[in-house]
Amino acid sequence: MSLLEVNNLSIDYITGEGTLRAVDDVSFSLEQGESLGLVGESGCGKTTLAKSMMRLLPDNGFIKAGEIIFKGDDIVKKDKEGIRKLRLRDIAMISQSAMNSLNPVHTVGDQLVEGIRAHSNATKAEARKRAEEVFEIIGLEAKRLNSYPHQMSGGMKQRAIIAMALSLNPSLIIADEPTTALDVVVQDKILKKITEIQEHIKSSMIFITHDISVVSELCESIIVMYAGRVMEKAKTEVFFKTPFHPYSLGLKNAFPSILDIGEELISIPGAPPNLMEEQVGCRFKARCPYRTERCQKDEPQLKQVEEGHFMACHYPERIGEFTEKASKRETWEAVRERLIDEGGDGI
Amino acid sequence: MLKYIARRIGIMLLMIVLISTMIFFLFRAIPGDPTAYVVDPSMPQEARELMLERYGLNDSKWKQYTIFIKDLMKLDFGDSFFYGRPVGQIIAERVPATLILMLSAMAVAYLIGVFGGAWMAWRRGTRMESVGITFALIFRSAPTFWVGLMAILVFATKFRWFPPQGMRTAGYTGETFKEVFLTLDFLKHLILPTIVSGLYFIATPLLTMRNSMLEVLSEDYIEMAHAKGLRENTILYRHAARNALLPVVTAGALFIGSAIGGQVLLEVVFSWPGLGREIVQAVTRHDYPLAQGAFIIISAIMMFMNLVADILYGILDPRISYE
Ligand SMILES: Nc1ncnc2c1ncn2[C@@H]1O[C@H](COP(=O)(O)OP(=O)(O)OP(=O)(O)O)[C@@H](O)[C@H]1O
Ligand SMILES: [Mg+2]
Repeated sequence: MSLLEVNNLSIDYITGEGTLRAVDDVSFSLEQGESLGLVGESGCGKTTLAKSMMRLLPDNGFIKAGEIIFKGDDIVKKDKEGIRKLRLRDIAMISQSAMNSLNPVHTVGDQLVEGIRAHSNATKAEARKRAEEVFEIIGLEAKRLNSYPHQMSGGMKQRAIIAMALSLNPSLIIADEPTTALDVVVQDKILKKITEIQEHIKSSMIFITHDISVVSELCESIIVMYAGRVMEKAKTEVFFKTPFHPYSLGLKNAFPSILDIGEELISIPGAPPNLMEEQVGCRFKARCPYRTERCQKDEPQLKQVEEGHFMACHYPERIGEFTEKASKRETWEAVRERLIDEGGDGI
Repeated sequence: MLKYIARRIGIMLLMIVLISTMIFFLFRAIPGDPTAYVVDPSMPQEARELMLERYGLNDSKWKQYTIFIKDLMKLDFGDSFFYGRPVGQIIAERVPATLILMLSAMAVAYLIGVFGGAWMAWRRGTRMESVGITFALIFRSAPTFWVGLMAILVFATKFRWFPPQGMRTAGYTGETFKEVFLTLDFLKHLILPTIVSGLYFIATPLLTMRNSMLEVLSEDYIEMAHAKGLRENTILYRHAARNALLPVVTAGALFIGSAIGGQVLLEVVFSWPGLGREIVQAVTRHDYPLAQGAFIIISAIMMFMNLVADILYGILDPRISYE
């Protein structure tokens, strides 16, 4: 049995201007110990999806359909207290905004201890001991527990947040762009540390980023999201060797591997569709170089193209042609011109 | 910290001298004859002259001022024209009544305001929230003397739940602090003015707390607290309300000034024998020494309360350090 199984999950935000479907019919599963990279452009619903796993959606966010089976129970159906017990102990989150995730008026140590004690009968001293242990593991001195957040650097705060997330050996770690606010050198160290610990405590991880090169280093499998839907999912090696979806091809261009250094980056022109509007046809149609009549009308469903490799495009058989054209600048230039013709700005 | 407090107190003393100077000249600028009260019109002219001489009212303004400041340094405010007793003594008699009323009103307003404000933010968008806001704003905008009179009319005159005015029932005499203030009779007299004054105060803590709470609730560390699986109450009090309290303390410090204005009116309406009522009387009687003394003491109280608020802020917020 998988640790986590998400089936046909859809999530809406209700706003003043209308309803926005941020996550649409998403399904995937995660094995014990597996680490999954979740990539996609800003606004494609990564954070929304991640938060729903812990039922941490904001007040205007609602799970409209689907189930999230974690260790055999549906998280969508759990009551408040059931969810509360799950958080941190079973599913821990390292959030996108870790810089501001520590309360400025309490010491970092108190904030760790409080989390540990919310899930066990540990005495203050025992919890404190555990906090010291995780601080050690993450590479912070124990005396730092007495610091207030404003007395720590960004990297230290980030480490403290990670230490907190790991303090109860959770079975699932959700890391939502855990290092965006840090400089590259520190980023790298911290990412290595997270995966090291994750492997050590044998927990699973969902790693969210818009940098697919990080996924290639850290994760076993990858999901590419676009405008709230899964476009492609595969084992990482397979994906980086043969991506199928035109969007994945475009993404790969935008983040070339180290071998390609010196080549100019090609980005995908245009922007994701407005999710407030009802979506007809393929969501990527406006920016896809290969679109056809069919793409305007029919929404492609996720289908298997080889063992464990799924993608949502009507034309899996044209992969050879797509791959070849995708590496050419003209292909994407044509899209830009088409966007301008259609009245968009073609950025 | 101690150094900071010492410096603040130093500044306070300087401010008091400045304020005293302003007060001194302002009173001298008010038209009217202070001797009218002190000196009986039927008095013979020599006696009148003697009195003027005794109180130094014939001297030049400048001479009067230097004497005033010199005495002030010795904490001597002079003698009241009207009572013929040292001003210090009269003020000392009045201050407790004022402080007790003001502090109980503030305590009530802040207790209800802080918890109520936090609660309103927690249940934002409900009907109770708008009722709470309207209620607080009505009592903030309604003139205190009117609310006070209405309260007396309804609860004292009509229902006879509370005595209508004063601090104790006529005929009761007490000398010591204990005899005067620690009695049931005093408590009964205290309730109505406390409520009226508290209702006036409550808008500040209630609305500041609500707004600041709403802001805090959208902070990342609140989401983090949820993600840690903390209990709702822990999040509400330990993380949200605790942080939301900071602006409430600041607003409270700024509010003390206007609170004193309201206090004066309140004491007049309820015939509360405090400093506020004494000031009004002293001003109409041209009792310079008493009015001056009372104003100076009130300024000192205000500055002191501001200092307390600042220190409290430093304790509540570890990011503030008083160096
Ligand atoms: N509280 C909210 N109310 C309304 N809409 C929201 C809310 N939060 C997110 N959205 C919208 O939902 C969509 C998905 O947002 P989400 O934060 O999940 O994207 P993301 O993939 O995490 O983006 P990023 O990479 O920028 O973090 C976006 O269009 C966003 O504008
Ligand atoms: Mg995000």
